[in-house]
Amino acid sequence: MKTYIVATAALLGSTICAYAEGELNLYNWGNYTSPEMIEKFTAETGINVTITDYDSNTTALTKVEAGASGFDLVVPSANYIPIYVEKGLLTELDHSRIPNIGNIAPEWVDVPWDPGRAHSVPWQWGSVGIAVNTSVYAGDPNTSELFLNPPPELVGKINVVPEMNDVLNMAIFNAGGEACTEDLVVLRTVRDRLMAAKPSWLSMDYGTTDKLSSGDYAASVNWNGSTMRARINNPDVVYGYPIEGYPLFMDNVALLSDAQNVDEAYQFINFILEPENAAMISAFARYGNGVAGSGEFMPEDMKTAPEIATPAEFAAAGQFLPTCPPSATDLYTAIWTELLK
Amino acid sequence: MAKKPRAFDVTTLPGFTFIAILSFVLLYAPIVTLVIYSFNGGNSVNQWGGFSLEWYVVAFNNEAVQEATVRSLIIAVWAAVISTTVATMAALGTTRRGRFKGQTVIYIIINQPLMVPEIVTAVALLIFFSSVKLATGYSGLGYLILAHSAFCVPFAYLPIRARLEGMDMTMETAAADLYATPWQTFRYVTLPLLLPGVIAGAMLAFIISLDNVIITEFVKSAGQDTLPTYMLGQLRRALTPEVNAISTVLLAFTILILIAFAFVTKKRA
Repeated sequence: MKTYIVATAALLGSTICAYAEGELNLYNWGNYTSPEMIEKFTAETGINVTITDYDSNTTALTKVEAGASGFDLVVPSANYIPIYVEKGLLTELDHSRIPNIGNIAPEWVDVPWDPGRAHSVPWQWGSVGIAVNTSVYAGDPNTSELFLNPPPELVGKINVVPEMNDVLNMAIFNAGGEACTEDLVVLRTVRDRLMAAKPSWLSMDYGTTDKLSSGDYAASVNWNGSTMRARINNPDVVYGYPIEGYPLFMDNVALLSDAQNVDEAYQFINFILEPENAAMISAFARYGNGVAGSGEFMPEDMKTAPEIATPAEFAAAGQFLPTCPPSATDLYTAIWTELLK
Repeated sequence: MAKKPRAFDVTTLPGFTFIAILSFVLLYAPIVTLVIYSFNGGNSVNQWGGFSLEWYVVAFNNEAVQEATVRSLIIAVWAAVISTTVATMAALGTTRRGRFKGQTVIYIIINQPLMVPEIVTAVALLIFFSSVKLATGYSGLGYLILAHSAFCVPFAYLPIRARLEGMDMTMETAAADLYATPWQTFRYVTLPLLLPGVIAGAMLAFIISLDNVIITEFVKSAGQDTLPTYMLGQLRRALTPEVNAISTVLLAFTILILIAFAFVTKKRA
């Protein structure tokens, strides 16, 4: 069966080659696209892919919105997809042109930012949790209490990444609230707890991979991919999934409404939903991908990585952060500003 | 009666040496650290893993880096040529004649890119160029070259004007007395005297274009990453000393050109 599929794919690939020397312009985060995966795509389809980098969702949105950007596909984060859709910058995907659309893992199909995957398909996803060095603290890492009320072993040794939405929402989940809540009782608790915890933090900084590896941080609010890299350098590091709730993020591939190379774009979207190719993306950037069955093609060190494959008992606590209304963002900014003082 | 005070000299003020050394340390310590870690054998930008040149090899063999470098150089050469030509004409126009009405306004207009925040220019160019792209369908390197030429003009203009202000008009007047046409006067008298200023201006413009990030990030079309925007894109994932290696090469190149610049402006000045 498998050889049959491969043969068909090869045949399809060669026939496409015969009539199309296509072009495709992918606009993606820098250093985020596996070059091997692109080479394979070009070899199979004859389509040349030009990758252009961006460094933030805002830069990408600004350029696309200005028009005539020349890009076909863009890879916005989950909370930016509704903004793109609202501004009419994305084409609704014709699922009949994406035979592999069914490969998207069921939990990634009806996502809040793009119900039914009308406008985007998964690229990569990850979570924000707590990395702990077990040689310093041997207790349960799966709780956000670790940074909101650090145990004596971690006082003065814990870092918190300066990401407003991730940190505040983790504290909101801890206080029993929901993402984007404007409940002042919850927010007051959040504010008081963060302010009380701050003196026992070592720092609020990025660069966590290195400092966790070296043991400079005994713990940190951190991303899963970064924690995995730290753990490979230093086996004492473990990744905790706060049981009270923790944020998830996902970047998604979307087709721009002014795309010039629509056929090529569909071929690409279909290509990355093939489990083997999705695994290549993950192997390069070290995050999960959201395509069912890609696990078996992953490199050995990722297949078993507890940071990538979320243990079942913690999966339900992960939540995507929606795009909050400005009124909520104003409240959060006020708390955040006070915290950073 | 009173003793004659010594002439004022800033170096005699208390704490001068201390503050000067502190300033240099603050300015250069981070850059020195960056250079040191480009020779790191490990894959961290702040944990030492032994001396190695491996990241230079990695950067050198990275196709994206090669392409971005070539693109950066092409843009910088064009930007330097165009902006220096414009700047030379502007400098001649503003200095080779008596004072005239509106001179200050002209200076301000020419030096506008030095004062307007870069992000404002970047967004303005983004909006303007995207309507041009829509109308013409052209999306080549021309936009980046034009944008770079525009903001490089004042950098080329300043050394050329400084050179011209140091040259009085006697030579040109003499040439004119000997029946040289204005063009001959320019070609055989003014330009040779002015050349060090022009070269200095071109080198400065070249470096400014090579190092630009913000305007390039906004104006670039598909597949037009330059070396600095490529490096900016790396921030999404963990940084490796590859970025240090690229930065070090870029830094060394910049310093070389600035040294050459110092020589050219010093000579015969």
